[in-house]
Amino acid sequence: MITKTILEQIEGEASLYFDMKDNLVDFVTIAFPHFRGMEKMLEGKNAMDALVITPRVCGICGHSHVLASVRAIEDAYKNSGFTVNITQKASKVRELTLVLELIQNHLKWIYLVLVPHLKELCGSKELLNTPLKGAYGASLATKILAIFAGQWPHSSYMVPGGITSDFTYVDLTKAKSHLQKLTEYFETETLGVSVEEFLSFESCKDFASLESDFAKIEHLLIDLGMQKKGHAKDAFLSLGTHEFSHAAKVKGTKLFKVVSKYIDTQDAYAPDEKSYAKNALYKKQFYETGPLARCMAKEFKLIKNMHRRFKDSAYTRVMARIYETAHLLAFCKKLLDEIDISEVSCIETIALKNISGIGEGVVEAPRGPLIHRVQIKEGIIKSYKIITPTQYNIASGTKENPSPAQQAMLHCSQADAKFIFRTFDVCSVCTTH
Amino acid sequence: MADRIEGVKKLFTSKSARVETNKGDAYYEKLFEKCQARIEELKTQQPINNRLDITDVLEMQGIERRDFLKWASAVTGMLMLPASFTPLVADAALLMNRAPVIWLELSDCAGNSEALLRSDGPQIDEIVLDIISLEFHETLQAASGHQAEKQLEDAMETFKDKYLLFVEGAVPLGMNGQFGTIGASGETMHDHLLRVAKHAAAVVAVGSCATFGGVPAAAPNPTGAVGVMDVIQGKPLINIPACPANPANMVGVILHYILTGQVPELDSLLRPKFAFGYRIHDNCERRAHFDAGEYVEEWGDEGAKNNFCLYKVGCKGPMTFNNCSIVRYNEGVNWPVGVGRGCIGCSEPDFWDKYAYERPMADAKIKAPTGGVEKTVDEFGLGLLTAAGIGIGIHAVASAVAGKKEDGGEA
Repeated sequence: MITKTILEQIEGEASLYFDMKDNLVDFVTIAFPHFRGMEKMLEGKNAMDALVITPRVCGICGHSHVLASVRAIEDAYKNSGFTVNITQKASKVRELTLVLELIQNHLKWIYLVLVPHLKELCGSKELLNTPLKGAYGASLATKILAIFAGQWPHSSYMVPGGITSDFTYVDLTKAKSHLQKLTEYFETETLGVSVEEFLSFESCKDFASLESDFAKIEHLLIDLGMQKKGHAKDAFLSLGTHEFSHAAKVKGTKLFKVVSKYIDTQDAYAPDEKSYAKNALYKKQFYETGPLARCMAKEFKLIKNMHRRFKDSAYTRVMARIYETAHLLAFCKKLLDEIDISEVSCIETIALKNISGIGEGVVEAPRGPLIHRVQIKEGIIKSYKIITPTQYNIASGTKENPSPAQQAMLHCSQADAKFIFRTFDVCSVCTTH
Repeated sequence: MADRIEGVKKLFTSKSARVETNKGDAYYEKLFEKCQARIEELKTQQPINNRLDITDVLEMQGIERRDFLKWASAVTGMLMLPASFTPLVADAALLMNRAPVIWLELSDCAGNSEALLRSDGPQIDEIVLDIISLEFHETLQAASGHQAEKQLEDAMETFKDKYLLFVEGAVPLGMNGQFGTIGASGETMHDHLLRVAKHAAAVVAVGSCATFGGVPAAAPNPTGAVGVMDVIQGKPLINIPACPANPANMVGVILHYILTGQVPELDSLLRPKFAFGYRIHDNCERRAHFDAGEYVEEWGDEGAKNNFCLYKVGCKGPMTFNNCSIVRYNEGVNWPVGVGRGCIGCSEPDFWDKYAYERPMADAKIKAPTGGVEKTVDEFGLGLLTAAGIGIGIHAVASAVAGKKEDGGEA
């Protein structure tokens, strides 16, 4: 029998169609009943307008979109014979603001999605439901972001050639002080140990003595047997070129080279309802993307160790997102220390109306690789295609070829399946652009 | 030349803000009594459900009474009320849990929910918003599916004709509304909105999508998206545009409602005048450079390095009514013009087609809500600047004239 469940508390709405056999999930199809047509409305507009419109694809990852957009336009410059150079300063600030967007996303996910549902599933009194805590941490991250980007969400401060903000030492000092506060918050409230020490952990034994939110989450996941559930494809994809991640295809623990041109989309398999989301595949195969994929590609010891024991279980997936938050906080500090304020923010480029060509921008967004592909003719957009991370993880494939999320939900109870679904950090507004 | 001198004179003598900030003692005395009576009445009512008590939460967060009053005094100023209203505003904030709110998300990117409930806004705003009796919010509540549907039904029944309905997102009308369906029954967003709005005390459209259709309504408007005011009739309606809407303005509207039991004074686009009564240009930190004729000509040029005016790289500040140059975003940290990017006019209708990026207003063919005289004046103004080589903010004069015209047309 097929039963339909609507999932809220994600951005947008998803319908899950559960096909149950002996009270266990036999198959799930996923539909997103919402559409806006952003790609269509970009056609015929000035390419610079993409920098304003694409951040509005998503209120949670707007920054990733503006970076993908500006990279796509800069790539089109290059393909038209005009290389765009940007300074170290501009490139570091772009990276910094992107990373802060990832951090705020992860903090909200921990306290607004993971904790409430973990509590619901195990009825634990040990872990407190404290959404304000998550909101506080996230607002600290977006405050730092706003110093350089003007506002969050929906900032558009990147332009071909660099960034528009010419910040001062005072701004930089403020950013450092906010980051210090954010790091301390994460250490005290979430980890119960310093970021530095946490990142040095190599095995689960290292954090056995902790009594923090992190430790409680870890215990509850084990109590629920989440280390044995939620296995997806054991194949990962990390694509965007950044210092904080490594572009690679990971099968088990083996790393392979990747080329973004092999990413393509297909219609979602949704026999029961019209779904406006498309599936994204690499060489026609599904891969898991996001923090776990990035941690595997970056070969972090703790996560690799967890993976060795529990493979790509729901447990490992959750741990990877928390681990990545610590990694990114440390990385932010490094970036802020390295920014050389005397460099210029933006190098002038030739006018966009001289540009005709195609371009691609690939970025690691909170949930994985985000790709923008643009075709420009004399500065005007001829076509625009956006492939978002959720389209890999939460794709709806057939029973013979399920997506990572579909595979992860197989043979579980419905309650477990819904929790496992959320470990992918479901977000659908971007998927149905 | 005589015209130009006349123009300069006019510029320096004209009022920059278009909203009447002082309505006279008699008006405020009457309003004060009214608000006081309402607050007293609200105090006798029980908080809805088991909402947290704000004083407890403030204490828990380590926020002292003094800081809370400081916040109340800032909000009083934002609402354009005299300082004597500060204690009343503080009381109203403490009574937030008497206002039931239902929040609907339609065709949108969730950016306003993000802005409001999860990330920015001064910390006290955030707490206050956590205290409001948010009876239903699809993204933030734990319930889902049929359970959520029931929760909504219950909230609508219990608070019939009393709840404030916040709507985020546009209403897609194309293909009989099939571009957006909600819930187990597959109800269209349009039907859903009409059903929930039927017994709302007032409807608040939050963000540019809900107010004017927003990005989903950008040409060629693939889903036939419209704003809430195009489909809701016979209800008090407040528009809080911008992309995302500023949380401070949402708090302002709720507080105003609690304080007075009424919607705030609105302009012709149904925007509260306390927030949208003046142009961002009027309070812009780069205004001096505009007046001095110092502009950024290209991204990365000397002008950009010196934080000159962004008008020529497409800033729509002179045409955009909003308070973001004062309130700013993310706990007052910054705003777009602060990072040299120029205003995109996101709180004006059709910003995505007419106002967006790099085209200076003169080239953007904007027919402004203020009457549409800006184009010719801009051309004239810019021509003058270039030819004479002296910086005169002649467009400001024209805008003030255009502003006067609109005053006449306002309800």
